[in-house]
Amino acid sequence: MNGSFQTLLTRAWNRLLFRWRRDRLEDELQEEISFHLAQIQSELHGAGLDQRSAWDQSRRQLGNLTLAKEECRGMWSFMGLERFVQDLRYAVRMYARTPVFTVISVVSLALGIGGNTAMFSLVNALLVRPLPYAQPEELVRITGTYPRAAVPMFRERSRAMQIAAVSIGSELNLAGQGPAIRVTGSSASPNFLSVLGASVARGRNFQAEEESPGRDNVVILSHSLWKSLFGGDPSTVGRMIRLNGVDREIVGIMPAGFSYPSTRVQLWIPMRLDSTNFVEYWGTEYMPLVARLRPGATISQAQGEVRRLVSELRGVFPFAMARDWNADSTAIPLQQDIIGNVRGKLIILLSAVGLVLLIACANVASLLLARATTRRKEMALRAALGASRGRIVRQLLTESVGLALTGAALGILVGAGGLSVFKALLPASLPGLAEAVIDWPIVAAISALALVTGLASGIAPALSAYEVNVTETIKTGSQRSTSGFWTRMRGVIIAGEVALTLVLLVSAGLMMRSLYKLSEVKPGFDPGRVLTVQISPNESLCAQRALCVALYDQLLQRSGEVAGVREAAIANSVPLDGQLPTIPVVVDGQPNTSDHPSDMLLLGAASAGYLELMRVPLLAGRYLMQSDGANSAGVAVLSAGAAQHFWPADHAIGKHIRPAGGKQWYTVVGVVGDVRHATLSKGLPDWVHGAIYLPYPQAVTEDGKLPAAMTLVAKVDTNDGRTRSELRQLAVALDPNVPVGQVHVLEEMVSGSISDFRSMMQVFLSFAGAAIVLAAVGIYGLMSYWVSQRTYEIGLRVAIGATRGQIVSMILAQGLRVSLYGVLGGILTAIALTRFLGTLLYGVAATDSLTFALVTALVLSVAVLAAAFPAWRAARIDPVKSLRAD
Amino acid sequence: MGTTKKPSELLPGTLDLLILRALVPGEMHGYGIASRLKRVSDDVLQVGESSLYPALQRLLLNGWVKAEWGASENNRRARFYSLTAAGKKQLAAEREEFSRVIEAIQKVLNMA
Repeated sequence: MNGSFQTLLTRAWNRLLFRWRRDRLEDELQEEISFHLAQIQSELHGAGLDQRSAWDQSRRQLGNLTLAKEECRGMWSFMGLERFVQDLRYAVRMYARTPVFTVISVVSLALGIGGNTAMFSLVNALLVRPLPYAQPEELVRITGTYPRAAVPMFRERSRAMQIAAVSIGSELNLAGQGPAIRVTGSSASPNFLSVLGASVARGRNFQAEEESPGRDNVVILSHSLWKSLFGGDPSTVGRMIRLNGVDREIVGIMPAGFSYPSTRVQLWIPMRLDSTNFVEYWGTEYMPLVARLRPGATISQAQGEVRRLVSELRGVFPFAMARDWNADSTAIPLQQDIIGNVRGKLIILLSAVGLVLLIACANVASLLLARATTRRKEMALRAALGASRGRIVRQLLTESVGLALTGAALGILVGAGGLSVFKALLPASLPGLAEAVIDWPIVAAISALALVTGLASGIAPALSAYEVNVTETIKTGSQRSTSGFWTRMRGVIIAGEVALTLVLLVSAGLMMRSLYKLSEVKPGFDPGRVLTVQISPNESLCAQRALCVALYDQLLQRSGEVAGVREAAIANSVPLDGQLPTIPVVVDGQPNTSDHPSDMLLLGAASAGYLELMRVPLLAGRYLMQSDGANSAGVAVLSAGAAQHFWPADHAIGKHIRPAGGKQWYTVVGVVGDVRHATLSKGLPDWVHGAIYLPYPQAVTEDGKLPAAMTLVAKVDTNDGRTRSELRQLAVALDPNVPVGQVHVLEEMVSGSISDFRSMMQVFLSFAGAAIVLAAVGIYGLMSYWVSQRTYEIGLRVAIGATRGQIVSMILAQGLRVSLYGVLGGILTAIALTRFLGTLLYGVAATDSLTFALVTALVLSVAVLAAAFPAWRAARIDPVKSLRAD
Repeated sequence: MGTTKKPSELLPGTLDLLILRALVPGEMHGYGIASRLKRVSDDVLQVGESSLYPALQRLLLNGWVKAEWGASENNRRARFYSLTAAGKKQLAAEREEFSRVIEAIQKVLNMA
């Protein structure tokens, strides 16, 4: 075997050499042959033929010589194309003769390769390509979120970084250019473009002083907004637009393709720094920071600096700040941050898809192996007829590579479909996700993958063909294998396949259980038949507290009159809407010290009736009431978690609490159940200890600024389009210049919040489904082959009195044995791997024994089923026939 | 095969074997190999150039023979072939294989 392999290498090497020296070879051959001719002539001459007929004679040979030259030329060219075509034609005939085998192989490879195609494209777009900013490797994200006050302080004190703040963007009303529309705008410190290394395409960047109040009425548009709003009019710079009732001058337009922090953001306004405005400066809207490393600075210097700056900042807060606030802040490469939580998902998907490809390979290998052994006779015959071993091996490899390439062609189609599925799984805001396509480099990579796949799955069978023992096989004419090695090898392959399948199934099973647990989660409110719509009145209408309150009261009253609306309320944020308004609070009798900093609570500024509408249960005291107006005593309702946190051994009712930095005390009048506000799987982040609900007239600040944009909430009889459009009309009537957001169905938001789990699970289920089908086919193939190998032996057993039942159980036991090894290996592998599913699991341990047990049972029963058919066939073997046949 | 007498068809795959065997005594040029095969087999095996030279190229490719240019007995430039170590091994293997096939065929022919 070794020697022949060496021959293969030698031959390949010589071919290369021969090809390179082709012209010389031609000349040499010409010379050699003319020498041969001359020899023949002189021989004939010596034999008494005259010159003339000798010449004729040798001329007659010339035809042969041309032929000889032709054939030699064919041999010098690398990869004797003709032979290859011959091999291919033979392979195609083989495929056609065994359609079932061919279809199974091609489909399993297409699945494996297709999945990998899609994943390659994604990984290439998201992990390999650099971010679309200048010197992206210098960009870092400072983790955590910061009040505006942090920005000037960090900017001055940082030696290693240039720091900018850019908010993630919120919805704004844009008027003054055609009908009012809602756009997403981000507020950013004026230096953000220079930090990102970007510049406007037209106009100018922000200037440093445009962050001070009164100078900040400017805006930069994204390229796409400029196109859609102004039709790309070059005279746009210098025009005015009105954002949330404030006139701003357009000073710049970004080039196409620029987006930060996400593609949703359509315009940027300067972030206002006004240290006299306590709430805004230290307040509830915390900003993400992005920075560029200064020349020569390293990431670890930046990280040390972030820790120092955070602790310095904690010291200058006007109220004591929680010690765990930003305690783990650090600087990470921006690419890593943007891909952050996606990376884990990608790796999980990539490994799953890799497993499927492995299984597909194993399957094709085992099928080919089975076929190679049944084709021994054919191989032996070919060997006897002068086919060299290399030739036979090449024939077999041509067959398997042909299969793999066909699989790859189909796989690229499968991959295109798979890519759109994967894209749907990932947040659309990722830079580069939209650009993820199957391009030529990917196709090239896939072809290479297919080639490797084909060789990998063909090499074992090809090598087993080497064991063909010509005389033995021709003499006995039997197809029984003389070596058990390859049969054992197949057993190992199938066991491996079963193991991989089990890993995939366990993962899918754990995700299913997580999903079930999640759907069982009590969110703490009832989303049934609740509609929500976001409204943000112009700042001019809310310039004074009284005006603002009156405006919302009017809205509530009218909403209640809409046909089909049972109850209506407003709140600054509803569960699962992606917002998390928080305030630091001070509790009467629990002074804040550095050991006991102020705690953060989720702020709910809501109208009376909001908690009832959401069916949040009342645990003690009372709900907020209509009479809790702007001028009455301050009251608050706490969530059970917050009450428990502040007064673990006492009643919360009657206690006093106020926002840090505020003057007014609020009396706790009620305690309600906890609501899962941020996500269903985790109610609130660790640093938020519960919720505080204030009557919105009391939460409105002096200058009329609400904690955030308000949301109108309505409980309706039926969710029909009419009710929805009437609610929208209402909001429009409130202020004709105000465009209104989408009407959302809260139930859809709830189910949408677990769609991530659901879609990941579906992908895994389909992978696992493909895997188990492949494994079943593999086991079936192995057992059928095993039975066909032992027809003689089984016949003998029957002849000497074995019952059918004994035969069947013998075969089943054999199949089970292979699967059991696989299951054992699979369980061990799964135990080692499932913890990497991490955040995709909820309420279930990564080594959940029930899931493991169920999956094991499933795999074993599939194995038994797959082995049952060959067993049944074996039981019907007619001893007389079988003994005669061999 | 373009010879005057009707030569026997060679069994497929045996030509390489014969060439290798012919080279055992020492190096030879193509014409020499052809005439030697002819002479030793009492004119039964006449190897035409159209199969001899491709066969030699094949053996070269496989590294079983090596070739060197030298002067022929009548002082013309000719290419001389000689066995390599791998070629010797191959010859041994093919001989064994061949005798087994022949034996098998004989058995078939001698069937009752």
